[in-house]
Amino acid sequence: MCLVLVACTPAKPVIEEHMMRIDGEMPADFSGSWERDYSRGDDVNQVLRDIYYYLSRTSADRAYTTRPGPVQPSSRDMASISALARLAELITRPQVLTISQNDQEITVDRKDDFSLLCAFYDGVAKGTESDYGTEICGWDGDQLVSHLILPDGLQVTHRFTVAADRQQLRVVTTVSSNTARVPVTLSRFYRKFERLPPDFNCIETLSMKRVCSTGEIEL
Amino acid sequence: MTPGARFLLLALLSSSLLQYPSIVHARDVAALNISISEFDPGVPEDRSLHRDLQIFPRIRDVEAKFLPFVLRETLVSSGEWGAVRVVTEPDDAAEVAISGSIVHSDGEHLELQVQAIDATGRLWFDRSFAARLNEDASQTGAADAGSPFQPLYEAIAQALQESRQQLDDRALAQITEISLLRYAVELAPSAFGQYVAEDEQGQYALRRLPARGDPMLDRIERIRLTEYVITDTVDAKFRELHEEIASTYALWREYRRKSVEYDRQNAERAQDGRSEAASGSFEAIRSLYDNYKWDRVTAQERDRLAIAFNNEVGPVVDAMEARIAELESWVEEKYAEWHRLLEELFEAEAELNRTAS
Repeated sequence: MCLVLVACTPAKPVIEEHMMRIDGEMPADFSGSWERDYSRGDDVNQVLRDIYYYLSRTSADRAYTTRPGPVQPSSRDMASISALARLAELITRPQVLTISQNDQEITVDRKDDFSLLCAFYDGVAKGTESDYGTEICGWDGDQLVSHLILPDGLQVTHRFTVAADRQQLRVVTTVSSNTARVPVTLSRFYRKFERLPPDFNCIETLSMKRVCSTGEIEL
Repeated sequence: MTPGARFLLLALLSSSLLQYPSIVHARDVAALNISISEFDPGVPEDRSLHRDLQIFPRIRDVEAKFLPFVLRETLVSSGEWGAVRVVTEPDDAAEVAISGSIVHSDGEHLELQVQAIDATGRLWFDRSFAARLNEDASQTGAADAGSPFQPLYEAIAQALQESRQQLDDRALAQITEISLLRYAVELAPSAFGQYVAEDEQGQYALRRLPARGDPMLDRIERIRLTEYVITDTVDAKFRELHEEIASTYALWREYRRKSVEYDRQNAERAQDGRSEAASGSFEAIRSLYDNYKWDRVTAQERDRLAIAFNNEVGPVVDAMEARIAELESWVEEKYAEWHRLLEELFEAEAELNRTAS
């Protein structure tokens, strides 16, 4: 259903201007440590099968055939979609997300990947721009949306939703590109967990690397 | 009078005539004292720009205190100048005042905008000095934080010497006199306000000189010397800061240099990767994602190192700032007291003179 909606809705920016402004506090609190709940979430193969099914019914190729019933999507279509699916799978692989949040910033640390950053200055979201892409973020109600725009039309969007009791987190990741006819969306679920309070106080330093102490650290 | 005696008398007369009347104790006129104020860190007010410009405000604050001391050491070692001091605030009455701002600073490239101005208000120069890393110093891991960009400090020292060469001895002597009188005017305007004039361009000129041995001027000189003792204590704090954080700063600079190198490698890899994989293939889109990923990982590692640097040098800088604030507050307090006492003394002496006449 989601796929149908995405494909049929006229293109509009993932993050609109108003989403990049906050007035006062952040609309939701995502802070904490979250571990993946493998009992829930999308199976990438099933998502691919759904896309195949969807394309076979909506394919433009149907117009050129008199044969009733579904039309097999082209292998080129499926190859580019599988590429997106593989990338989506890769991006959503981390077992643990560590989210820190204050009044200005939300940082999502992910193992083996860069940290997603959503920073607001005077209530306005400031994107990250480089030669390799642009990362912007915003709020859609109480959902945090992070949108990455890469060259050749490749785009990655993460939509974070936290449950009312703040014990569960849902991250919906959508990967799209100019070369694929439909995007690929994967949902992942996470459960909050409390890290054990550390026995030591530690800080990072340049010359001594990590310095830990049971009491107050004096350098 | 014999021709020989006449020649001797002429020589004596001319030498005494050529000796400029000066209120300043005899010293080499070229060896001017220099005050280098803490640099402007060059941090834009708009915080949202800091990440894009790779500016870490806390580290820039440390550099603003640290780099003037490296310049001071260069000037002192040249043996060309009088006392060279690092001060927290610009010293308007300094014989030569140097101020600067950090335009760019990463491990590879340092650029400073430096201004030198003498006590007469004459601008010596206001220009940019830039240097790239001295590769030899980097490879030998020189712990002396000044050395990798030493050519930059040498260039500033050279510019100072060239500016001084434009001035004759009379002009140099006037700088010293006006410096003392401007200081005197600040402390006791009633007594010294008439000696120095400032024009619309901010240039100072001597109107006349106080009498040699003027007791008021002696007091001013003694106060200035007292203030110099405090300034030297502040200067010593900059030295301590330099000694304590030099090795950590050298490490930071080395990490920053590597980070610049990683940025270059990321760019090269992105360039190489683009040409290979077919558009839309997993390899192609993964390469696009990875290019961004590695760029962000490099930037985030830079942020992490900046925090590590702050953790390490923060307590040293805080302690130094607290001690300097104590010293400066003492000077400020005393300064107000000296100002009041001198004004009262001047009034009392003027009254005495009036009564006597």
